[in-house]
Amino acid sequence: MITPARASALILPLAALFSGPSPAAEDAALLKDLTSVIMLLGMPCGQVVSAKRQADNDHIASCENGNRYRVFVNAEGRAVAQKQ
Amino acid sequence: MSTIAASAGKARGNIQGIKGMLAVRTIGILILTLAAGCAGVEKAPPAPPSKGQSAAKAAPPSVKAPVKVPEGPVPVAKKLEPPLDVEALKTRLRDTHAIGVFTKLALKNQMDDLLEQFRAHYQSGQKTGVASLRQPYDMLVLKVLSLVQDGDPSLARTISGSREAIWAILADPEKFNSVT
Repeated sequence: MITPARASALILPLAALFSGPSPAAEDAALLKDLTSVIMLLGMPCGQVVSAKRQADNDHIASCENGNRYRVFVNAEGRAVAQKQ
Repeated sequence: MSTIAASAGKARGNIQGIKGMLAVRTIGILILTLAAGCAGVEKAPPAPPSKGQSAAKAAPPSVKAPVKVPEGPVPVAKKLEPPLDVEALKTRLRDTHAIGVFTKLALKNQMDDLLEQFRAHYQSGQKTGVASLRQPYDMLVLKVLSLVQDGDPSLARTISGSREAIWAILADPEKFNSVT
């Protein structure tokens, strides 16, 4: 017989498992994305070590070499890395 | 006594003479037989090929067949090359999780810039080729490959395999205009 307590014990871990990527994973993906885009745009950076969200598609990225860039999508739909 | 001895010596001489004649005849017969045998071999018509001979004659082509094998792989290799599907490639690039949104957008911007360079070249009416654009094209492909190969190796392989086919489209004004 499955009691409510047992059911919740089964459901909660499964819900946690399938609810999507954890914030830490999202952060890692964002940092990797910002690192790649800054590299693609030819800016010196190395790895992006932290990022602060300002708006949708607008972040301040801090690089391991100390540089900081505002990475955003401009009005023409281009990805831009602007040194701060 | 002397007549007996003389007749005996005469008989001995006759016997030796007969032996010599026999030896000469025997040698003569042997030579004739050999000559006839050789003549028979020379004049004999070619015998119809037996099963064993036909098998022996058929064998050389089968032995030579593997020598022709290197010519075979060329069409096979051509068949293995998948046809370029630009739309499918675009979709895979758009949907891949190997790169993030900003990176995809930056790559798209750079691809659009390169396409604009090709368009400007063709519209300018220059008769020179587009060889000068090969290097930026290669650089862009390398960038895409370096970004994609860890997270989506299958896509990286497809892009790498389509490199020349894409260039063939870009370098041909008619194909370029039909695609863009």
